[in-house]
Amino acid sequence: MPLSRRALLYAGLATTATAALGGTTAGCSVPNGSTGRNMTLWYWTGGLSDKVVADAKKRFTDVSLKPAQIGGYFKSKLLTTMTGRAYVPDITGLKGEDMASYLPNAEQFIDLRTLGAEQLKDRYLPWKWAEGIAPDGSMIGFPIDTGPVAHYFMPEVFDRAGLPTDPAEVGKEMDTWEKYLAAGERLKKKVRGAHMVIDALTIYQYMIAQGTLRYVDAERRFIGDHEHVRRAWNMAIDAYQRGLCSRYQSGTPDGNAAIENGLLPSQIGASWVAGDLKLTVPKTKGKWRVAALPGGPANNGGSFLAITKSCRKPELAFEIVTWLLNADNQTRGFTDATLFPSTPASYQQAAMRAPDPFFGGQATIDVFGPTAEKIPIAYHSPYDYPLDQAVSDELRNVNALGKDPRRAWKDAMAKCRRIADHLGVLT
Amino acid sequence: MKGMKGTRARGLTLHISLIAGVLGSLFPFYWTIVMSTHSSAEIFQYPPKLLPGSHFDENVHHLFQKIDFFGSMFNTLVVAVSVTFLVLFFDSLAAFVFAKFHFPGRRALFVIMMGIFMVPAQLQAIPQFVIMAKLGWIGSLTSLVIPAAANAFGIFWMRQYMKGSIHDELMDSSRLDGCGFLRQYWHVALPVVRPGLAFLGIFTFMAQWNDYAWPLIALINPDHVTLQVALSQLNSVNGTTDYGMVMAGALLALIPLLVVFFIGARQIMADLAKGAIR
Amino acid sequence: MTGIGAAPTLGAPADDGVRSVPARAKARSVLGYWRLYLAISPFYLLFLCFGLIPVGFSLYLSFHRWDGLGSMEYAGLSQYRYLLSDAQFWNSLTNTLIIWAIATLPMLFIALVTAVMLNSAVRFKNFYRFAYFLPNVTSVVAVAIIFTSIFSTNFGLANAVLQGLGLDQVAWLNTDWGIKISIAVLMTWQWTGYNALIFLAGLQTIPSELYEAARVDGAGPVHTFFRITVPMMRPIILFTLVVSTVTGLQSFTEPQVLLANTNNTSTFAGGPGNSGQTMVLYFFQQSFDNNDFGYGAAIAWGIFLVVAIFSIVNWRLVQRGEK
Repeated sequence: MPLSRRALLYAGLATTATAALGGTTAGCSVPNGSTGRNMTLWYWTGGLSDKVVADAKKRFTDVSLKPAQIGGYFKSKLLTTMTGRAYVPDITGLKGEDMASYLPNAEQFIDLRTLGAEQLKDRYLPWKWAEGIAPDGSMIGFPIDTGPVAHYFMPEVFDRAGLPTDPAEVGKEMDTWEKYLAAGERLKKKVRGAHMVIDALTIYQYMIAQGTLRYVDAERRFIGDHEHVRRAWNMAIDAYQRGLCSRYQSGTPDGNAAIENGLLPSQIGASWVAGDLKLTVPKTKGKWRVAALPGGPANNGGSFLAITKSCRKPELAFEIVTWLLNADNQTRGFTDATLFPSTPASYQQAAMRAPDPFFGGQATIDVFGPTAEKIPIAYHSPYDYPLDQAVSDELRNVNALGKDPRRAWKDAMAKCRRIADHLGVLT
Repeated sequence: MKGMKGTRARGLTLHISLIAGVLGSLFPFYWTIVMSTHSSAEIFQYPPKLLPGSHFDENVHHLFQKIDFFGSMFNTLVVAVSVTFLVLFFDSLAAFVFAKFHFPGRRALFVIMMGIFMVPAQLQAIPQFVIMAKLGWIGSLTSLVIPAAANAFGIFWMRQYMKGSIHDELMDSSRLDGCGFLRQYWHVALPVVRPGLAFLGIFTFMAQWNDYAWPLIALINPDHVTLQVALSQLNSVNGTTDYGMVMAGALLALIPLLVVFFIGARQIMADLAKGAIR
Repeated sequence: MTGIGAAPTLGAPADDGVRSVPARAKARSVLGYWRLYLAISPFYLLFLCFGLIPVGFSLYLSFHRWDGLGSMEYAGLSQYRYLLSDAQFWNSLTNTLIIWAIATLPMLFIALVTAVMLNSAVRFKNFYRFAYFLPNVTSVVAVAIIFTSIFSTNFGLANAVLQGLGLDQVAWLNTDWGIKISIAVLMTWQWTGYNALIFLAGLQTIPSELYEAARVDGAGPVHTFFRITVPMMRPIILFTLVVSTVTGLQSFTEPQVLLANTNNTSTFAGGPGNSGQTMVLYFFQQSFDNNDFGYGAAIAWGIFLVVAIFSIVNWRLVQRGEK
């Protein structure tokens, strides 16, 4: 039966009125920026342990701590409020990959050194600490988690290829990328259809991550054509040309199936990749081990907490931040949300030393811990991202579309120079 | 009645092709249902699960623990109903004017409207946030309802629809009967364009229900969000997302849309029947 | 103000206009002008309040360098100059147009045919509508998971069908054309039913007497379709074409969800060789991944220009047939 226009009209008017009224009441209850009585804390789902945050709410009663998990694209929401200078959170998470773009705008945040951060410095990983410090020396990011990179492998498949199966031995016998690729040759010969490397890009990315230089140096000069980039590029191309790279893509059904069938028995990835494996290929439980990364320690991922200039009670905010991120709570972050601690003290705690059945009872902290402690301090420029994208895109063209490697390198460098020029980076 | 006497064979081909299309359309939806009944681990197994599992209750339970599902659904409902109501009124009124009247500047105004329609929507977030903050609307549902209250898409649609369906004879005779502008709109135009309105209503409601980008930025109070914003909080960064739960949420969020669709479709149907005797 | 600047060229729309409005109406409405302006005012008022400043701001932004937080730096026309010489932008434009062409045109045709079938099928009509409507509201997360499965190389439905037909496997998400076709299929899947419903609403304005007369004359279904349905539906076809142009050329959700998890690179990159990177994806990549908001704004205005040109062309094409 068709609804009458009149009935619809009344129904519509009534709801619109609700929206208007509901809007005003809600509008009143939301403070215009920080009032000092409320303290807002923004993070993303899985960015902090929810249990630790809930405890902080109970513990700090001088203010009403209002934690909010922001869905979607975190940075765009934070940038919008900061640029609009309204409703800026008091404490906010900053993702590691975005740090380089926040650091030049350190004036938007409170310098944590003024709140006594220096006293806590020796409790945190030095390289991680350094990543939260802006070019002007002020400290804006307080370390949450890190992403030490390791070599995940399947001993059963390695055994069939006549490769070592013990984590310590794998770490030792494949301590360089050259040796890793040589092992890849053996694997290819002995196990039909198996590949050591999922994608040439993996090798390139982690070799770059192992170094201290990226694409632009602190003097804003383009260094993307220097030896460290060439070396990584050549190693990746070498792996590709020797047929050691698969054409699978991680996270796709094909890739997952290949992993399940033991065709990709070696995965290079950060500590949180363990969570990915458990989720996407649960059938491989017990078949994995973790060894040290070929070529030395590297980091991928990890984030920070910052206190914004809108915060009315920075001392208290700092107290909350340091409590949220002390060693005990970082350990809880690891158990609750696979956030790998930036506090070395956590590595000794029982919760982190527990044998992991997914890794056949291995205590993976023995690999991740020492890796995390040895990661080099690198310079990250806000211009690295687009330049890295240009090189990675070309490498992907080689690996996926079969582009001529020499042509790809030339194109990558030409693109980089154009981009650098556009961004005002000296070439 | 039309088409009833068509040969059986033709009717059969018709239904077969329609059913083929239906299968293609329904399959992913069916798969959504299947995924919402499995645990996350099962979703990623190969070959994929094609039959419903037993984890639906568990997924829904987790969902309700994580977010205030019904509270945020209520907020979405308020926004979607208000916007739909305002859009139907403002758009059809403007469309009626553009479709059936001549006045100075009509052409230029229409062209400007179409031009605005073509501006990429992604440009707006930051300045719009500043405006809303100045108005004190940030965090309230008003910030979602008011900017969406009239749109070029709906005006354009209703104009095109009215051009085909409101015949000039109808306008003339109503004017001879002494109808003013508003009465022409209410008594002549609206009854004729009901299927068009029903369509616009369904899709406005749907678009508002699923809207995500702007609410995500405008709603800063976590206790006071719309359903899509709440659902977006379920996706985690470290690959630990509970997809079974996400799917269950997506599925439950769809139910009100389907109800609205059925009501709207009935409206179109009823008018179709009336159209036959018109 | 590009929106207004484009006005003279966009003049075509009103041509079809109110050719049928009698002069009497014009004379009458002289007194009632204010009512008419008032009736159309809400849209323009809302635009003035909430749209004009953002549009003006983005134009201003496109002449600057800005990282989203710090101070802006005047850059003159350099963003636009860079845009013209930016191979990746032109690549994204080509991608967008190809994907749009292979998705939209077949989609609109299938939608129209589906609508005609729906209009003549008497039974289960509500069920069919419901079914065709579902793709448009199915959750994006679900769509992403399902379609990456469908197009996966070894386990995908698409390749299973190909092999069933005795053809070779295609690495859908790993080759230039494979990516474009996959995106087009996803778009067609999501929007065909939507457009069919639009057409269906339009079909109901065609008086059934016209069809009766055609049947009496012995016209077959194909003849009826092209001689009665298509001409009568012209305003609605114009609508769908313009709307599909505007939305199709600004597409980004479909390529993003389909190509998001291809080997830990940007979700806005559009897969290997940037083969699936549309203009709006490139806008997002520059604005939010690269924090190059000034250049992002310039890209957005490039997108606007392309959309406007294509809409005008489409409009002219459809209008030409109408006397």
